Amino acid sequence: MKAGSYVVGIDVGSSATKGVLLLDGQLLSVFMLPTGTDLNATAGECIQNLLRTEGLTENDLSYTVSTGYGRAQVKVSDRTITEITCHGRGARALAPRAGLVIDIGGQDSKVIRLDEDGMVADFVMNDKCAAGTGRFLEVMAERLGTSLLDFGRMWKEARKPANISSTCTVFAESEVISLLSKGMEPSAIIRGLCDAVADRLLGMVHRVGVIPDVVMTGGVSKNRGVRLSLEKKLSQKVIVPDLSQCAGAYGAAIIGHELVMRRQQH
Amino acid sequence: MIPGGIKARKSHYKIAGETRRIKIMRALSRKSWVHGAAKLVINHMEKRGGKPYQIDAIRCFADDFRHAYLKQKPCIFTSAFVPNELIYGLGGVPFLPEAASGFAASFGFARESLTACESLWYSPDLCSFHRAGVGASVLEFAPKPAAVVVSSHLCDGGKRSLFQISQYHDCPFYILDVPYTCSAQSLDRLGKQLEKVARSLEQEVPGLSGKYMDEAFADSNAARNYYLDLCKLRTNAPSPWRGSEALNYVVLFLWSWGSPWLPKFYQSLRDHAEDVIQSGDYPVPNEQFRLAWLNLRPYYSPKLFSYLEDTCQVSIAFEEFSYMYWDPLDSGDPYISLAKKIMANPGWGPIERRLEVIGKITRGFSIDGVVQFAQWGCRQYNGAASILSDYLRKKGIPFLNLDGDGVDIRNSGEAQSLTRLGAFRELLESRRIKNLR
Repeated sequence: MKAGSYVVGIDVGSSATKGVLLLDGQLLSVFMLPTGTDLNATAGECIQNLLRTEGLTENDLSYTVSTGYGRAQVKVSDRTITEITCHGRGARALAPRAGLVIDIGGQDSKVIRLDEDGMVADFVMNDKCAAGTGRFLEVMAERLGTSLLDFGRMWKEARKPANISSTCTVFAESEVISLLSKGMEPSAIIRGLCDAVADRLLGMVHRVGVIPDVVMTGGVSKNRGVRLSLEKKLSQKVIVPDLSQCAGAYGAAIIGHELVMRRQQH
Repeated sequence: MIPGGIKARKSHYKIAGETRRIKIMRALSRKSWVHGAAKLVINHMEKRGGKPYQIDAIRCFADDFRHAYLKQKPCIFTSAFVPNELIYGLGGVPFLPEAASGFAASFGFARESLTACESLWYSPDLCSFHRAGVGASVLEFAPKPAAVVVSSHLCDGGKRSLFQISQYHDCPFYILDVPYTCSAQSLDRLGKQLEKVARSLEQEVPGLSGKYMDEAFADSNAARNYYLDLCKLRTNAPSPWRGSEALNYVVLFLWSWGSPWLPKFYQSLRDHAEDVIQSGDYPVPNEQFRLAWLNLRPYYSPKLFSYLEDTCQVSIAFEEFSYMYWDPLDSGDPYISLAKKIMANPGWGPIERRLEVIGKITRGFSIDGVVQFAQWGCRQYNGAASILSDYLRKKGIPFLNLDGDGVDIRNSGEAQSLTRLGAFRELLESRRIKNLR
């Protein structure tokens, strides 16, 4: 075990729980698992996995910051910080010129504008329903009998997007069934779905203002189809860093590291 | 007064939402012994050391409710921005279905009222304060109105839903058509309307007479003086009064001007704020940030505000709806005076008037950030969100448009609201750290 300050950032999302371990501010390891029904237990399991990988125990941890919708449930957490701040910080660390962060998770989406120092300058969130979020895409993929990983390929195959008028999970599912029964190509439907998600985000993006670089985080950032639709609608390249799905946990860990540093200075 | 109209369907449709507890509450609210017992409970609370201003506020409403439910005085339904000095001055008691919806929500009775309203084909798109008001009225959970008086300014849904209530109860309906711009001519026009309504109410509703007008005006002016003292005290940092509580008392601010209880209430509240400042026993002792709160609040969710005030140590220093916008009333020229009060409402007329007041609040109360509660279905405030955001952005004041619903719990996601408020607090903190550098 190397000497130094070990900090964990843990993001308990609605679909997945992500953990990031830092040693003196440097990324050491990442772990991810599905969020179960017991949020605290899932977070504990995630932390244990991170520690095990590095041969550490809980006593070696200097600080733990939790974020995400289940942040308050993490009992070992020293501090809770909202996912808006964490995704902002994480995105700036992963993409140093990030000005606008689009985070689409399992049940909500957020658009965050960063200032020159990488701090949150403004943000908007989607309204209360899960329209146009990760869960929406999962249901649609299931209905189409395809994998979310195939969305990018199928998006490119589509000659023309289908017109999907709703991002409500229930209504869009009916639309998809209707389009399939009319013989519409699944690839066109997928492109239509991605466009519908991007359309919904577009209003939020323009509310806070488009500041390049535009960075995408959260589980849906791994969906190439949505990214392609967003790029087309924004006429702007959308950067998806390698650890985009863990940006929230990474941001939480960075803030934790800063707090440890501040504590040591005092 | 609008004669005729579409009669509400009293007999053809079964109204949903008439649960056992509604039936019990409806029956109890009309029993004189219940109101007598309420008096005893209030006296007991006072003896047990309840805060004087809270006791006064309860007395203020208990008195009005007793008069209204037991038909001791004519009950006149009014919309939120009608000057109720007119009703108290005529010897009646006002009842604001919109404001009563807030009560219903905080006591957990809104669900039935909303269901009742929706069963009568009202769209869930209508503001829930109105839907719950209509529902409570058709369930006869609210008292029976002798007449309904509404004003045309600000809230569009209010006049329509209150018209339906007047039809349901088969009572006279009056609408004050408020001119958009203020001039001597428009004041005169509105003053004449107010006088005409007062005269007609005296004729149509037995028991109403203008002989109490001087008294109501004097009470209103006395309350206003204490209220202005209170506002001055609220500029103190830390805030001497919990903003979440102040948002509850907005109901009184909308309802009770002209009530004989109001001067006593604001005097007690002013004294309370003075005591807090002197003792240093602040409700948010480690106040980190001060917010201005625009529009109303969710009345069913105390968690949101305990999170904001106790966990985040953020005070709501002042509320838009608590802003004193009118001059002292003149009983020598009562109708023009009331017309001036109506026309002075900063939410009416060009948006610049509202922005000016928000600017005054942010300066006067050392505000760090502004939260607008974007009430579902509220056209006049939600429509201004982008203008408001631009205005505050230019002034360098962070702004949060918090979507939600004041009455209908189905229209809000508490976890999302907590995240937004938490993130807003973090944004304020990062700005402060940056400014300190």
